[in-house]
Amino acid sequence: MIELVDVTKSYNGTVKAVDRLTLTVPRGEIFGFLGPNGAGKTTTIKMITGIVRPDQGTIRVNGKDIGTEPLEAKRQFGYVPDSPDLFLRLKGLEYVTFMADMYGVPQDVRKERIARLAERFDMTDALSDPIQSYSHGMRQKIVIMGVLVHHPEVWILDEPLTGLDPKSAFTLKEMMREHADSGRTVFFSTHVLEVAEKLCDRVAIINKGVILFCGTFKEMQEHFRSSESLERLFLELTKHE
Amino acid sequence: MNRTWLLTKMLMKNGSGLWSGKRGSGWKKLLMILLMAVAFFPLMSGYVMGVIGLYDGLAASGQESALLGMGMAIACLGILFFGIFYVLTVYYYSQDVEHLLPLPLKPSDILGAKFLVTLAYEYVPTAFLLLPLLITYGVKSGAGPLYYLYAAVVFLALPVIPLVIASLLAMLFMRVTSVGKSRDRFRLIGGVIGIAAVLGFQIVIHRNSAGRDSVEQLTQMILSENNALLSLVTRLFPSTKLGAMALAESGVLAGLGYLLAFLLVSAAFAAAFVLLGDRLYLKGVMGIAETAAKRRCVSGEEFDKLTGRRSPVLAFAAKEWKVLLRTPAYFLNCVLSCFLWPLLMFIPVLSRPDGFATVREWGQFLQEDAAAGIGVAVAFALALFMTSANSVSTTAISRDGQTFFVNKYLPVPYAQIIAAKVVPGTVLGILSMLLMCAAAGLVLHPPVQFLLLALLASLPGIVFINLIGIIIDLRMPKLDWDSEQKAVKQNWNTLFSMAAVVVTAAPTLFLAFQGKPSLYGISLTLFVLFAVLDLVLCRALVTKGPEWMDKIQS
Repeated sequence: MIELVDVTKSYNGTVKAVDRLTLTVPRGEIFGFLGPNGAGKTTTIKMITGIVRPDQGTIRVNGKDIGTEPLEAKRQFGYVPDSPDLFLRLKGLEYVTFMADMYGVPQDVRKERIARLAERFDMTDALSDPIQSYSHGMRQKIVIMGVLVHHPEVWILDEPLTGLDPKSAFTLKEMMREHADSGRTVFFSTHVLEVAEKLCDRVAIINKGVILFCGTFKEMQEHFRSSESLERLFLELTKHE
Repeated sequence: MNRTWLLTKMLMKNGSGLWSGKRGSGWKKLLMILLMAVAFFPLMSGYVMGVIGLYDGLAASGQESALLGMGMAIACLGILFFGIFYVLTVYYYSQDVEHLLPLPLKPSDILGAKFLVTLAYEYVPTAFLLLPLLITYGVKSGAGPLYYLYAAVVFLALPVIPLVIASLLAMLFMRVTSVGKSRDRFRLIGGVIGIAAVLGFQIVIHRNSAGRDSVEQLTQMILSENNALLSLVTRLFPSTKLGAMALAESGVLAGLGYLLAFLLVSAAFAAAFVLLGDRLYLKGVMGIAETAAKRRCVSGEEFDKLTGRRSPVLAFAAKEWKVLLRTPAYFLNCVLSCFLWPLLMFIPVLSRPDGFATVREWGQFLQEDAAAGIGVAVAFALALFMTSANSVSTTAISRDGQTFFVNKYLPVPYAQIIAAKVVPGTVLGILSMLLMCAAAGLVLHPPVQFLLLALLASLPGIVFINLIGIIIDLRMPKLDWDSEQKAVKQNWNTLFSMAAVVVTAAPTLFLAFQGKPSLYGISLTLFVLFAVLDLVLCRALVTKGPEWMDKIQS
């Protein structure tokens, strides 16, 4: 569960990247965070994960406040950043083991998880190579594996499907569904509206730091008295701003 | 040409240049420069005094213009050596390379722009090497305004020729090594061999100048025409003679002729560079970011070993080590330098024909208590210097670059991350010291207890410099770089930590030479004093460090 209450972040004191944002993502839900480039999606995610400190407001992950109990809050989630170019000099297996160490995953558990994840993402043969030799999609997969190895309650994924091949994208979507269905939380940002439409239980649309809509896809349709696709709605939502 | 210029401006703005640092406001930068000036004032004033002495000595026989020639030739040599590393960074290991290659640009457009960027960077070390000499010479000879005008032109044009040579050497190296799968490793070995060659060259130079330390002896050396060192250096850069003559004759029309000839030769080199660069550059730079992959399955036993569990601090420190050892720029600048300094220190001594004998005498001195006390102070100062020179801790945060944000979302206390980041620098500092003690033991044959006490007295000092280093980097990290070389090499933080070494070591040496303390007295004092300082710094880091870390935005 993720709760944001009255969260504001401005850069240089003038431009408000996120403006009094309030949002609750309950357990058991895949939540899609939509918006055009520069809408404030990544800033919001960076605030939830403790990378950026909000100017005001509170953020809780599974009830733990990221501002006051940062370590407890950070143990609740796994985060896939928008750029997978991390620790390029490490080998794939070294990176995943490093992440397991950071989250204190027991030896026997990690072994089994790494092997299973590598197989599911078709990475078994690449684990002993440096991440630098990976393609963009493979880097994305190793970062996702680094998150899933510690089996976090809450998944926070910034554009996780970018660069993945269709099979891996399918696997990840399948895993997101399984995770939410087991009563846990998935929060992800995306540009791909079809994915949001098919995958998300609920969506929020953000533009210029303000949430314009939050609810199910159906509610959104009713909201706009239209049966058109989300893409159309999305354009309608954002173009008049 | 127009495109070259546009590209140069873009590269300068984009961080390949010197003036791209976004860190700090105007007054902060001014304060930094002032601080540097204070720290390096003793060095510079020593330099100027030396120039004055040489000038007077040479002027007595009307040979003072030789001073200009020698100064310029040495500056050229310095530019050539430093230039090779800058060139590799800017021409090849800059991230913009992969974006520039697909553009409809001629190799010479890219090269021209990158050459100008490197040239701009070279003016800083050249200014350090040459300006004191040029100004002192002008003042001493009572030169007119034309001298200073010519001096400015010569200063601007001087780096062109050595930089062209450096560029061609680097391009040739990259072209030749651009084969096979493990290019990175190949080039790393090439770099090590290159540094070994520089060391060898240094030994040759020292052998040639052996026993000529004083200003009088140097004067004699310059006056005697058949000197090997001087003719070697000037023969490497014949054009410097033209530059020197232009300045020496600035009062008469011939000076202008010399100046024009100097500019003409420089222009010819630049033209040759463009022509050759068109042929050499592309083949060396294409696929520079490619890395070999084996794509093999990890066996069960290996898998068990590689996935073994470690505490977060240990795992973090291990990650720091791996990145340090596997990134060529970090390995050459940080790790290798830690093994080189102890050797470098003995080169001036050992390269003399009578070196061993002199050094043995020093070893004899160390048998006396007071001399041994001073010896410990010297060893302590050297340990601090070597620790600072490897710049491992002063760039521990900077090296993270754009991935610094990872530190923020991991569920690991900032204090533990900081602790893990101090480990490599401290271990390498201690390793340098051990190596120096071993070398000193072999060469000097000092009493064993002297070596042990020198080592013991230096340990807290080494930790101290590392803690200062990480504090400097926490306060002023350089995260916005586009090639790894820049994180470690073009980082002011190392200079700050050097300033800290000067501030710490200078009084220690002064007091030791003045007070002549006993061996045990000074060892114990240094140990206790710096252990206490370490505790204070640790405490400051534990309480303030996380706050500083939190403030860093990548």
